[in-house]
Amino acid sequence: MHCTRRGFLAGTAATWSLGPAAWAADRRPKIAALTTVFEKHSHSQHIVDRFLDGYGWESRHHRPAMDVVALCVEQVTGNDLSRERARRHPQMKIYPSIAEALTLGGSKLAVDGVLLIGEHGSYPTNEKGQVLYPRYEYFQQIVDVYRHSGRTAPLFNDKHLSWNWDYARKMFDTAKEMDFGFMAGSSLPVTWRQPSHDLPWAAELEEAVGIWAGGIDGRDIHVMEALQCIVERRRGGETGVRSVEALRGERFWQALEAGSWEAGGWDRQLLDAALCRSNRLNPTKATYSNVFPTTDDLRRIAPGSYAYRFEYADGLKATIVQLVGNVVGDCNVAARIKGGEIFSVLFYLPYYTMRNFFSPQVNHIESLFLTGKSPYPIERTLLTTGMTASGIESLYQDQKRLETPHLAIRYEPPRESTFWRT
Amino acid sequence: MLTRRTFVKAVGATTLAGISPAKGGENALKKIAIVTTIWKFGTHAQHMGDRFLVGYPRHGKWHQPPLQVVSLYVQQRPEGDLSHQRADEHGFTIYPTIAEALRCGGDHLAVDGIVIIGEHGDYPRNEKGQVLYPRYEFFQQAIEVFEQDGRAVPIFNDKHLSYSWKKAKQMVADSKRLRFPFLAGSALPVTWRLPPVEIPYGAKINDALMVGVGSSDAMDYHALEAMQCMVERRKGGETGIKSVQLLEGDAVWRASDEGFWSRRLLEAALSRSDSLQGDSDLDSRPQDLAHNGQLPNLVPNPAAYLIERNDGLRTTLLMLNGAVRDFTFAAQLANGGIISTQFFLPPNPNVTYSACLVAQIEEMMVTGRAPYPVERTQIASAILDRCLDSKLMGLRRIETPELNITYQAPRESRFGG
Repeated sequence: MHCTRRGFLAGTAATWSLGPAAWAADRRPKIAALTTVFEKHSHSQHIVDRFLDGYGWESRHHRPAMDVVALCVEQVTGNDLSRERARRHPQMKIYPSIAEALTLGGSKLAVDGVLLIGEHGSYPTNEKGQVLYPRYEYFQQIVDVYRHSGRTAPLFNDKHLSWNWDYARKMFDTAKEMDFGFMAGSSLPVTWRQPSHDLPWAAELEEAVGIWAGGIDGRDIHVMEALQCIVERRRGGETGVRSVEALRGERFWQALEAGSWEAGGWDRQLLDAALCRSNRLNPTKATYSNVFPTTDDLRRIAPGSYAYRFEYADGLKATIVQLVGNVVGDCNVAARIKGGEIFSVLFYLPYYTMRNFFSPQVNHIESLFLTGKSPYPIERTLLTTGMTASGIESLYQDQKRLETPHLAIRYEPPRESTFWRT
Repeated sequence: MLTRRTFVKAVGATTLAGISPAKGGENALKKIAIVTTIWKFGTHAQHMGDRFLVGYPRHGKWHQPPLQVVSLYVQQRPEGDLSHQRADEHGFTIYPTIAEALRCGGDHLAVDGIVIIGEHGDYPRNEKGQVLYPRYEFFQQAIEVFEQDGRAVPIFNDKHLSYSWKKAKQMVADSKRLRFPFLAGSALPVTWRLPPVEIPYGAKINDALMVGVGSSDAMDYHALEAMQCMVERRKGGETGIKSVQLLEGDAVWRASDEGFWSRRLLEAALSRSDSLQGDSDLDSRPQDLAHNGQLPNLVPNPAAYLIERNDGLRTTLLMLNGAVRDFTFAAQLANGGIISTQFFLPPNPNVTYSACLVAQIEEMMVTGRAPYPVERTQIASAILDRCLDSKLMGLRRIETPELNITYQAPRESRFGG
């Protein structure tokens, strides 16, 4: 079924305008969760469990004012937890298909919010190293139900929109066309920061560097989102990305030693500042527990490192430096503000029994479901999805510099910070 | 022994008014001596001592302190000792006695500051379960040098001043008598917090509760000082301790039912934990551990340290081994609000919380002023010692008029970095 916006609106008439708030006055919102796999430490476990069991939030064990009533899990493994969760939370029924979960076994959309969590599980990897998680396919099935029902519900999509840029763009366009609340992305932009600060609003930025430990696509997107949620606050707002160049092997090390963007690399002080925010800097010197690595150390312990250099439309330069190997265990970003000052920050991911970086993300999802509006722009994740795909493409094309006119994505982020501070 | 009067007379007013300037002009590195029990990988001496040698991360830079370690005294050198390797690599000298280390082998005090790290190493325990680390004894040897040489320099003492409240009191008194800056304590008060909150300065507090884990008297000390750095900011400042009582076993849970400590504050503290155990360890599900009835199953040996302050404030430390693995705090303000946080201990091997502490030590060595009052550490030391007395006395409540330790907290926050 193909709907133009005009025809679609005409076809569905008034029910459409009810939007997602119709339930608010008299009942708890009903939520459907659609996921690839539900195991310990899968994203679906972390996210759905917080709706089912509550979570620590602002001095309370907070219980979301909504109910997950439907769950669809594509791959039920030997480590599956969804059946245990359904037994313990009988209001949540397991359905064999996305359409049935969204309609609660009926014929029309019967939920007020949708969680799309297509991360983890056994899926093929393509020749570029991207795992082909079926987020786009899930999304298409969701909007099919929306169209068939003449009603939409706010939708959260975990991580990037898709491994594939064209798919991502279609998802974005469809959500705009059908006018439903659409939120997506990594938990890094909203987790704790050390220090607990944000880039000053409308700062004039010259260059930024984001670092972590590598991982084509799956980890790349996290660093992109961390970097993007900082740089989008710069003067003029986001203007999109003009080009990308990936670097690996000897080109990576030459770029690192070049020490500046102009010389083909990145500002070394920014890389150093990012490393100096880390709480998980692998000691490169025997018997010491916390030392700063030299370039030789990095070459020795992270030979497979790679980088993506991005030029933004307004001239900002940004590099994702993935130190593949046991160098740095956490994600950090540094940015140079005009005048020389360096802003740097650690995106803290508690990696204990509780992966509580999902708590602020779930809290924002609750807000999406209650208000129908995403607390931060979906354009951020559209852009980072495209940056990730283009960076991987450059790597795949032997590190060729690629123009990215399709990433001319402009948006204005919210002025108020949305990371976890309370 | 010198009295304050004779000491002043002997050394003159200028040196007593502050710290002697480093020789060789303002840009010369201040010289420090490290006095420690043991320097092996993973010990406090290694974590903290190394930062003076190779620097540490601070404010997004790799910071090299303007300090030079010139001498070391290390009491135990078992297998795995790193002190010789460090001395060779970084060009300082290991001396066989504390006095020689402080005088760098000469006749007079020859350093601008002393870092005493009496943690780890093989030392006996007393009947209260306290490890008899010789911090007081190390400190007294420094005091003897100060008195003999007529000059005093800043001292940092790692963790509690002593296992004994009396010795701790003497140490503080000596520092006042000889008028040198004295900083001490745990890294918890100065490490990162999640979220980064303080008790509003001068706020009235109705109740406070700390959750800690680990052994006594190593880890309960950290928890007590963490709680102290929060509650000392209350209206009127610290007024001292009226009574303490240690509870163990089921009495801990009953005490909550009887209103001795607050479930609501436990919920608030645990809302900040990243390490819930039991079902959360099994499959990472969140739990309302304060209310779901699991605590007695998870915590076979709970302990509650009930601490009543002279201004009426009730404060409680719960040691909940088996329930969590991190340190959290909550306080009920008189205005109805609850403040809660986690004292975040970044993981091994970096343990960057110790960088936060070394930054405070460095500041004292450079400026000649302790950035926060040693009374915080004194009172936390004393609370722990007397709580362990309560344990020895059949878990009785004991009045503690001797803990009339009063002080005003600094307004400025010092955590993170």
